[in-house]
Amino acid sequence: MASYRTKALAVATAAALAATLAACGGGSSNANSNTKGGGTLTYYVRSAYEHTDPQRSYLGVEMTNFSRTVYRGLVAFPISSDPTVATTPVPDLATTTGTSTNNAKTWSYTIKNGVKWQDGKAITCEDFKYGASRVFATDVITGGPNYILTYLDIPTDAKTGLPAYDGPYKKDGQALFDKAITCSGNTITYHFKKPWPDFPEAIAALHMMDPYRADKDQGDKSNYQIFSDGPYELQGGTWSKETGGTFVRNPNYSASTDSPNVRKALPNEIIFKVGQTSEQITDQLVADAGPNKGAVTQQSIPSSKFSQVLGPVASRTVSVTSPYVDYLVLNFNRLKNLKVRQAIAMSTDDTAWVAAGGGPKAYKPATDIVSPLVKGYQANLFPGGSGNPAQAKTLLQSAGVKMPYPLTYTYPSTPTADAQARVLQSAWQAAGFKVTLQGVANSDVYYTNIQQPNQAADLIWAGWGADWPSAITVTAPLFDSRPNLTSKSNGQDYGAYKSDPFNALVDKAQNSSSLTDQTTFLQQADQLLAKDVAYIPLDIPIFYMIHGSEVLNYTNNAASNGYPDLGPIDVASSVK
Amino acid sequence: MSFPESQLEVAEPIDPQITATGLVAGQSPTRLAYNRFRRDRLSMISFWIVVFYFAAGIVSPILVKVGVSKPYGQDQKLLNIDLGGIPSGSWGGTSWHHLLGVEPRVGTDFLSRLSYGITFSLTIAICATVVAVVIGVVLGIISGFSGGYVDAVIGRFIDMTLSFPQTLMLLALSTTGVALFAKILPGEATDPIPNGVYEVLVLGLFGWPSIARLIRGQVLSIREREFIDAARLSGASRGRIYFKEILPNLWAPVLVQFTLIMPAYVSAEAALAFLGVGIPPPTPTLGNILGDSVNFSGSDFSYFLYPALLLAIIVVSFNLLGDGLRDALDPKGDR
Repeated sequence: MASYRTKALAVATAAALAATLAACGGGSSNANSNTKGGGTLTYYVRSAYEHTDPQRSYLGVEMTNFSRTVYRGLVAFPISSDPTVATTPVPDLATTTGTSTNNAKTWSYTIKNGVKWQDGKAITCEDFKYGASRVFATDVITGGPNYILTYLDIPTDAKTGLPAYDGPYKKDGQALFDKAITCSGNTITYHFKKPWPDFPEAIAALHMMDPYRADKDQGDKSNYQIFSDGPYELQGGTWSKETGGTFVRNPNYSASTDSPNVRKALPNEIIFKVGQTSEQITDQLVADAGPNKGAVTQQSIPSSKFSQVLGPVASRTVSVTSPYVDYLVLNFNRLKNLKVRQAIAMSTDDTAWVAAGGGPKAYKPATDIVSPLVKGYQANLFPGGSGNPAQAKTLLQSAGVKMPYPLTYTYPSTPTADAQARVLQSAWQAAGFKVTLQGVANSDVYYTNIQQPNQAADLIWAGWGADWPSAITVTAPLFDSRPNLTSKSNGQDYGAYKSDPFNALVDKAQNSSSLTDQTTFLQQADQLLAKDVAYIPLDIPIFYMIHGSEVLNYTNNAASNGYPDLGPIDVASSVK
Repeated sequence: MSFPESQLEVAEPIDPQITATGLVAGQSPTRLAYNRFRRDRLSMISFWIVVFYFAAGIVSPILVKVGVSKPYGQDQKLLNIDLGGIPSGSWGGTSWHHLLGVEPRVGTDFLSRLSYGITFSLTIAICATVVAVVIGVVLGIISGFSGGYVDAVIGRFIDMTLSFPQTLMLLALSTTGVALFAKILPGEATDPIPNGVYEVLVLGLFGWPSIARLIRGQVLSIREREFIDAARLSGASRGRIYFKEILPNLWAPVLVQFTLIMPAYVSAEAALAFLGVGIPPPTPTLGNILGDSVNFSGSDFSYFLYPALLLAIIVVSFNLLGDGLRDALDPKGDR
């Protein structure tokens, strides 16, 4: 769930950003240019993060925030208002952005000298190798990106489709893994079975290949532990799921091993506060008092507050189109009848959905699961619009099922999402369905719940953004059954979609040598998904965010997935 | 609001027939209480308000059935979508078709939703009150009449229940509890039913101790009365003494408790809806309507105002009614 964003930033922010890049080290600002930086940044988060383990976190916002503060990788995305620059990797812990040989099937990196963990020990090649090995423990390290399961040169079991290596805990097939990732001194080499030309983009966007210290690994118990190698470290070492955590300076971080284009690390402290609703967060930021002057949030302004952020407050808001697409997953374990799925798609009222969610300030309607910013986007894949319940009813009647056909729709419950669910429900009911809404109030377990193989909902809300600007990071990870479906989890294939023709097209795309061919195969694969009605695209969220008046260098850019970028950000020293 | 005794005694007769025959002294205690109650203007006002709420609660499902009231209807054309889906027009889009305006985001007629919300809120509150009162009365009678170790055990059980953090438990167990009821209730028990049953049971199961204590106190004095001795001597069974001899003497405090606990449950339902347990949307209850409308207090004030007023009025009226009933039924009772 990471990576790309489209629209140019608000002019003021972009200009401020340019100024900061020139005068690195802080002190420049968009509001009051004489203010000294180094204050306390408060970062509001609505719902708890399900993981903070680098190999398990897969939320775009989490990955960008932690990249800028505690988790460094081999390469990173630089701070830039230019979307192309912001999604072109630069060296981070490695000396270069990587050298590839063998038709992009082999990649090697040399790790910089003098890079250290928060306890002062040097970061070694073995740490990188260990981090990557954890991804293979699919029974313990769940939730994270799993690309390397299909890419790394390790044979797969013909029956389950899973690699013959099962991670550093059980260690079956360790020798195979040791051959696929090799260390020689400070140089790490990855061997893939398919060409992976955009591997640097992948590891800049995701934390799956981040180093991990074997002696700090407690398997599932490490889910909320943060062992830093970045400019900050987590106070206490364990993230609190319910309340968040405080990032303080890491004494063993050396800025000379890092680039100010990636991390400026200007605020003295970053306090993450988890648990308030978007409405409460917005109210506090509108009021702009005390520590909230130095506060930012990952939440968009809810539609109920739109009329309160006009006038002078509007100068503290930024609106950018996010790289995400929200969509409905159809559960193939339950909706086996194609005509039923088609009737659902036909009666989905996308126009009402967008309007109930806040209208054009909050969403753009979507007609493809691939964002328009990503190569491979197809504008007319789904009809969108307000649907046709009458025609859908005729179709449902011809499907030979009992009517009204019962459907359960599950989604993370917020006041806005409840209203959106109601408009979908009424359109579906008009088409002959009987719809039960199942709003999940406890949204921190939402994704974990919908990954359950025995998930009882028919329709599942989900949101996804390309991990890096390629459609191969959208349809393939979401619908390729082979790396996703295991006995314990459906991975990101929430609806348990399983199609051999689709998987074959993914293989073709992944093995293509030219990007044009790859895009063609991916578009065909996406058309197949549309034909099978594996998903229904709903909307492209717009990030409409507000920040405190003493926040300096505030920018939402492509490198930060449209969220506030913690790389250049600063807070006036008056905010403690 | 209590009347001085002197005033009661010289009060002018109400019933013209009685006046005519001069039989003022012949009124039954019930009649006396009724007269006292009728003369208390505040109680009468709250009584009629409560009657109005009940009428609304009973009538609105009928109106929904016949299609006059549409609590699930939608019309987004009435909204200003560019401003986040706030109703166009003043006072939440008030018009002849929508007397209290429409709901933001969706465009549902707000009057329909509020009146249907009253139905659900009152149903939950009444069911929970019945559960609490029944358990409280039965345990209170047993405890008060038996005395000895039975009394001691029930007394400690009451202490334990009172010290239990009920809101916390409601929150913590909601997912499992609701899932359990969804499984064990017959048929396709979905949407409001398992949540409602869970809410009613938890509210009721934690609400009885205060009633049990009060009833026990009453029973302690009743059990020393002669008619109880008479019943005992004539060989009446315990059950008979409990329910045929003692219970009829308790209806006044039970009625008062009922009217005092119910508003507490109406507001408890609202609080729980706020915390995300309780009946989930789209089923309207006063609680979840208010929970959503709070967010609009700055942008669509009337959407927030109406449910808040409705909730405040019903809670105050029920409390006043309870007070008035207590004054009427037990004028000498200390407070």
